[in-house]
Amino acid sequence: MRAETLKGHLDFLLLAILADEPAHGYRIIEELKRRSAGAFDLPEGTVYPALHRLEQSGLLASSWASGSGRRRRVYRLTARGRRALVGARADWRGFTRAVEAVVA
Amino acid sequence: MTEYLNALSAELSAVGIRGSRRRRILAEAEDHLRESGDEARFGQPKVIAARFADELATNGARRTALFSLFALAPAGIGYALLFGLNRSGPDITSAKTPPLGVAAALVIALAPQISLAAGLLAIALAWRLRATPVAPAAAISLLHRRAAVALGAGAATLSGIAVYAVEYSRGLPDWWTTLAFAVIATAIVPVAVAAVALGSTARLRAQAEGPAGDVFDDLGPLLDRLPVRLRGRPWRFCLLVAAAVAVAAFVGGGLDEGPRNAVAEFGAICACFAVLGRFLGLRG
Repeated sequence: MRAETLKGHLDFLLLAILADEPAHGYRIIEELKRRSAGAFDLPEGTVYPALHRLEQSGLLASSWASGSGRRRRVYRLTARGRRALVGARADWRGFTRAVEAVVA
Repeated sequence: MTEYLNALSAELSAVGIRGSRRRRILAEAEDHLRESGDEARFGQPKVIAARFADELATNGARRTALFSLFALAPAGIGYALLFGLNRSGPDITSAKTPPLGVAAALVIALAPQISLAAGLLAIALAWRLRATPVAPAAAISLLHRRAAVALGAGAATLSGIAVYAVEYSRGLPDWWTTLAFAVIATAIVPVAVAAVALGSTARLRAQAEGPAGDVFDDLGPLLDRLPVRLRGRPWRFCLLVAAAVAVAAFVGGGLDEGPRNAVAEFGAICACFAVLGRFLGLRG
């Protein structure tokens, strides 16, 4: 899938991945690839600016964690982020239903 | 990897990302590259740095614009308190140094209105960009300019009050002068903090292309409801606003001062629109 197509949905996808459990950047990107069966394969470094912005907006929080002998920045969903995810899921389902009804 | 991280560090500096934010980005990039071992997949340092600048600048500009308006609130409340409690000011010619006194009186009359208008315009633009992850660099720059004018005019108001209080001290009650300096001391702190925050945000060099838009994009849904067509006609918009303010000044001033105040407000708004209109994105 083209990176431009994915860009508009990246926030939603990142929030959805972090809904299950906190994760560091590399893990989030791997999860994005795994869940999409490789369809969402964008330049890995471009995910970090989005993570920083979502944190600035209060949808994510992050902290340093030590593990496997190194420090990693771990991101987790905030209560506000969880509410945003619920809203985004509802919007997305409504949108896909409408598109499906038109193109099917 | 060291070479890549050095290049990323240099690119981050070039787009204005420094200090703890840059250190954190580099630490996260290093951790990622140790895991993946693939610099090419991470992306070119220049592209990554530009992306950071675009995303952080958009968010930062929005937040700083909101913060600026909150920071001006104490100055606004203090101003209303000072001139609400003492409506009959001293004779304008009674200043210790008349030209300085008159200049201060003019600043006190004009600057708060400019500050309020620029602050509201900044909020309108921040609202328009609220759901935009990456706004065009031109829009971010316009947001900075509006917030800067709001803060600058707010600071000018406080300075004007200080000069006014000194210049007209003989004709003003002592309590008023004391209150004026208390208001200035209290209100200048948040304005200064907001100015520093704005300077820090404005350092980010966003690069996303696209138009800044203007006041008709910001207030479009509101303006389009009016019976007069204003979109694309900035001077018509200016005259309408000036006329509305002039009517309010006329009603507020009564028969004695109303006509003079109305003419002064109308002229001041048109003059400010001519001088600042383009800078504040009110006209193309």
